[in-house]
Amino acid sequence: MGSDENRLIHYSVDKPGRVTAAMLVSTVLAIMLAVLPSIWPATFSMLNPLAVDTDPENMLSSEEPVRVFHQQMKQAFSLSDMVVVGVINDVHPEGVFNPQTLAQVFELTEFAKTLVWPDPKPIPGQPESLKGVIEVDMIAPSLLDSIEQAGLGSVKFDWLMPEPPATQEQALSIRDKAQKIPLLNGTLVSDDGKAIAIYLPLSDKHYSYQVKEALEEKITSWGSDHNNQFHITGLPVAEATFGIEMFYQMAISAPLAMLLIFLLLWFFFKKLSIVISPMIVAMVSSLTTMGVFIATGNTIHIMSSMIPIFIMPIAVLDSVHILSEFFDEYQKTRDRKSTLIKVMGHLFKPMLFTTLTTMAGFASLYFTPIPPVQVFGLFVALGVFLAWFWTITFIPAFIMFIPEKKLENFGYVSGDGSAENSLLSRVLKKTGRFSFQQRKLIILGTLVMLVVAVMGIKKININDNPTKWFEESHPIRVADRVLNEKFAGTYLTYLALESNAVAVSLDNYATGLMRKVIAEQKISGNGEAAQLAAINKKIVNAITQKVKVNVTQNELILFLDSYIEMQIEEAESADMDVWEQVQAVIDAEKQKVELFKDPEILNYIEGLQEYLKTISVVGKSNSLVDIVKTVYRELHLGNIEDFRIPDNRNAVAQTLISYQNSHRPHDLWHFVTPDYRKANIMLQLSSGDNQDMLIVEQAVKEYFENNPPPVELSYRWFGLTYINSVWQEKMVAGMANALAGSFIVVFIMMSFLFRSMLWGLLSMIPLTMSLGFIYGVIGLIGKDYDMPVAVLSALSLGLAIDYAIHFLSRSRQFYALHGNWPDTLNAVFAEPARAITRNAIIVGVGFLPLLAAPLVPYQTVGVLIASILISAGIASLLMLPALITMLQKYLWVSSK
Amino acid sequence: MNKHHLYLRFFCIQVVLSFFFISPVVAKPLSVDEIVQRSNQAVYYQGKSGRAQISMVITDNQGRERKRRMTVLRRDAADSDEVAGLAYLGDQKFYVYLHRPADVSKMTFLIWKHLRKNDSRWVYLPALDLVKRIAASDKRTSFVGSDFFYEDISGRNLQEDNFTLEETTDKLYVIKGVPKDPGSVEFSYYRLYIHRQSFIPITIEYFDKNDRKYRIAKALKQENISGFPTVTKASMENLLTGSKTVMRYRKVEYNINLDDQLFSERYLRKPPKKYLR
Repeated sequence: MGSDENRLIHYSVDKPGRVTAAMLVSTVLAIMLAVLPSIWPATFSMLNPLAVDTDPENMLSSEEPVRVFHQQMKQAFSLSDMVVVGVINDVHPEGVFNPQTLAQVFELTEFAKTLVWPDPKPIPGQPESLKGVIEVDMIAPSLLDSIEQAGLGSVKFDWLMPEPPATQEQALSIRDKAQKIPLLNGTLVSDDGKAIAIYLPLSDKHYSYQVKEALEEKITSWGSDHNNQFHITGLPVAEATFGIEMFYQMAISAPLAMLLIFLLLWFFFKKLSIVISPMIVAMVSSLTTMGVFIATGNTIHIMSSMIPIFIMPIAVLDSVHILSEFFDEYQKTRDRKSTLIKVMGHLFKPMLFTTLTTMAGFASLYFTPIPPVQVFGLFVALGVFLAWFWTITFIPAFIMFIPEKKLENFGYVSGDGSAENSLLSRVLKKTGRFSFQQRKLIILGTLVMLVVAVMGIKKININDNPTKWFEESHPIRVADRVLNEKFAGTYLTYLALESNAVAVSLDNYATGLMRKVIAEQKISGNGEAAQLAAINKKIVNAITQKVKVNVTQNELILFLDSYIEMQIEEAESADMDVWEQVQAVIDAEKQKVELFKDPEILNYIEGLQEYLKTISVVGKSNSLVDIVKTVYRELHLGNIEDFRIPDNRNAVAQTLISYQNSHRPHDLWHFVTPDYRKANIMLQLSSGDNQDMLIVEQAVKEYFENNPPPVELSYRWFGLTYINSVWQEKMVAGMANALAGSFIVVFIMMSFLFRSMLWGLLSMIPLTMSLGFIYGVIGLIGKDYDMPVAVLSALSLGLAIDYAIHFLSRSRQFYALHGNWPDTLNAVFAEPARAITRNAIIVGVGFLPLLAAPLVPYQTVGVLIASILISAGIASLLMLPALITMLQKYLWVSSK
Repeated sequence: MNKHHLYLRFFCIQVVLSFFFISPVVAKPLSVDEIVQRSNQAVYYQGKSGRAQISMVITDNQGRERKRRMTVLRRDAADSDEVAGLAYLGDQKFYVYLHRPADVSKMTFLIWKHLRKNDSRWVYLPALDLVKRIAASDKRTSFVGSDFFYEDISGRNLQEDNFTLEETTDKLYVIKGVPKDPGSVEFSYYRLYIHRQSFIPITIEYFDKNDRKYRIAKALKQENISGFPTVTKASMENLLTGSKTVMRYRKVEYNINLDDQLFSERYLRKPPKKYLR
């Protein structure tokens, strides 16, 4: 290893031009690979263009069972992701129910219908289709039916608001009608009547931003001469807005952080020409990594957008060690080459190991079950490697380019005492002495901190909510707060219910079926004996054919249904009646499995919905049952005692077909499939927090355990709120495993580096303490453990170990020189300690601009990077010397 | 039976029919009002009374099917079939009996179509033992959950629209209908493609307020029954929902002497069995 490192360093120092050229060429190449296909996709179709995806759903692989199920159910129930527009009027005594506001609601609804665009991917041969807002599924007062009494035993199906009301009285009547319909109360109209919500389902949630922008423009065009507030929200809007703002952040925050790091470097090293080099390394590593990232066909996701932000501090970190030491050493010889070789000789091994440990920390993320986190880990690891490689080659090469004349006044001039007298040096010297003398106090303090950390960690709340990725004052957060106050809840989650088919042998079933057909024929007395025999023979043949290929009961029935339909089509009029009779038998059989027309099942669902009401985060639940009860009530006289589920199947079916005699018969299929074998309960939650979703899940699970359904019924969740909670849970478990795994890997690497378990253990202490400290604080201040926090565990592992490696390996180098600990301690608290401190300040402070970002994950990253570096710095500079002092006997003996 | 086959059959019928209807006298061009009146008569008023059994298949955009079968009885107030002088035009009564699906079997509907006032509509729900009058302020609602509206079954009052003849081709009159009261309907106009010989609208296209075509009615098959050119297969497609309903007419009969008494609330509960077979 020694000769290799020498050769590499000598090469960089001797041939700086080649090193620089190699770096530039490789960087430009990587950038071109990504840029060319993005700008000219047609010309470079063999390359991968830039692709962006801000969909949190993709935190799970698209083959993940929960997502597959989610997609299946969305299709089965024709459900779409929605943009929600809340309209509130707090000034008018009747809220939004006044002619002026409702006129705007009406106009906005009509406008929203026009928010469609030609399909960007038209299917060849098909007529052009329009994508965007799905008009037929929109929920707005002017597009919904009201079912109500029309006097003298009459029932009326009519538009709730066919046109904007002309009088206050008409406006109030719209409110009263809507509030009488359970599906609409708390969903379309707020309980207090002050607000209306319009729901705009999208053919694809990627249209949400376009739709939101268009709506905002329309609303702005009305000026401010009204008292209506409009809030636009919904998970798709939050996600899309996040995606757009994420790019602003990449373009503003990251360069701003770079600028601050640059200024700090300049402040510490005073030489503009030199401090440019770490910036170049950081840029080159980030750009090359992102180039390769895009070129290899990866998508820029919320996670991967942070790759440059993670690479930059780590890239600067190593350079600062070199510059810092070069700064302190240069004036001793005033020879660039020999100083560099000396500095690199000291630093090569610790830098290699800090790089390897950092890479291990990030690469461990590959073992989480979250695809975007996997690629994030791999590519940060790649970036860290590149940063290391260009640091040890390009930084020396760069310094060789600078004429010696220009370095005349660079660094601490030896003998003038400036090295010893700078504020930094004096503070560090005292720190060294303090750690030596007050070691017991430090250890005690460490133990106290450990206790506090454990207390904090116990309080950690694992939670995430994409809406909360925005600051409190962000319009999306405001809309979220206001609308969830007024309405039952804007977070939708669905409970899919499905009948578990009871297995009866198909043969027996088919025989039974035939027996029923014959029995029915006997009762009716229709048809001649020969005619019946011929027809029945046909049926038996058809059945036998199907039974052979082993279909399900349901498939057999559906097949027979179409078969008979075909026979009727072709039958002579004499046979037609017989066939129709057979069809009636099959029909009745078909309906037996139509589970969700069964009053017993509907009553069970009603009970479940009553129970759901008792969970505080559930604002409301909607199901087929609500439709049945409402229509049944209005078919009678609209009285409360008729607000119930009818007693038999046929009554349910007839109630539902009455409901379908409306303007929107398809609305029924959002709650039940046309075969009545699958149904769903839509829950409106007032919070999208994963914790709240988990509470609901748990409560429903208990309900099913304590109240077994009357028939075999399976239940399963879907919906975006649910999916978010699933990946969150997976991620936390995955992260914990990844962290534990890399912790062990790093420990093994450290033991190998120092050839001692004890030293290895020692090196893990600052890392353990800063991790403990940070998680402790997170738990104590009640910050949710969310996606950015989880990912930053890996960063802390990578960064916090760095200082320990530098501190310990330099200590050992000095010990070999001085032979006793106190002298060694003094030496370590000179250059090496200065390098660590400069590092912590430069990188830690450098990331504070992220605090100004309006996106919470970026703020979190800013705060955590700073805390990790500072706590790791302090831990390394206080705990390590204190511990070494305590354990001198064992440590120095064991290291020969 | 595939689509292609159907079209072919339809085409053959057209050819055969055209032989019957070719007139040696070159008639003077019909006015747009005459065309729509003739068309209205051909579709809704042939014979003094009539009946048909309708099999309905509703297929949604995912190919999921729902089936219905019903018998429709009709009785006209006017005695004449004559378009001249609008002698055919008068009030009508419809009686609808649902055969299947089994759980809504025996449900009945009664529609009194009035030319000068709102229609009257009743429904009988046997499982609820309930006859309910439906305030039919809006006839453009789904008929038993299908893509057809009540108005498509009973016929739209011609007084409600203004018609213009846009084009006359070899076979078709292309006519645009614009509602006199745009607020009363969901379409902004519709276009009828009326067959020149039979006066049956082969296609009707409905356009919404943003000029998008969103609904298409088609006559898929036409047969001559008791001398009346009769549509025996028709479809209605909703382009917005992607749902499509195909109706097949069987057991079509004309002038069957239906008693006016049958079209009363009393018979909703007691379906006239002999007409429903």
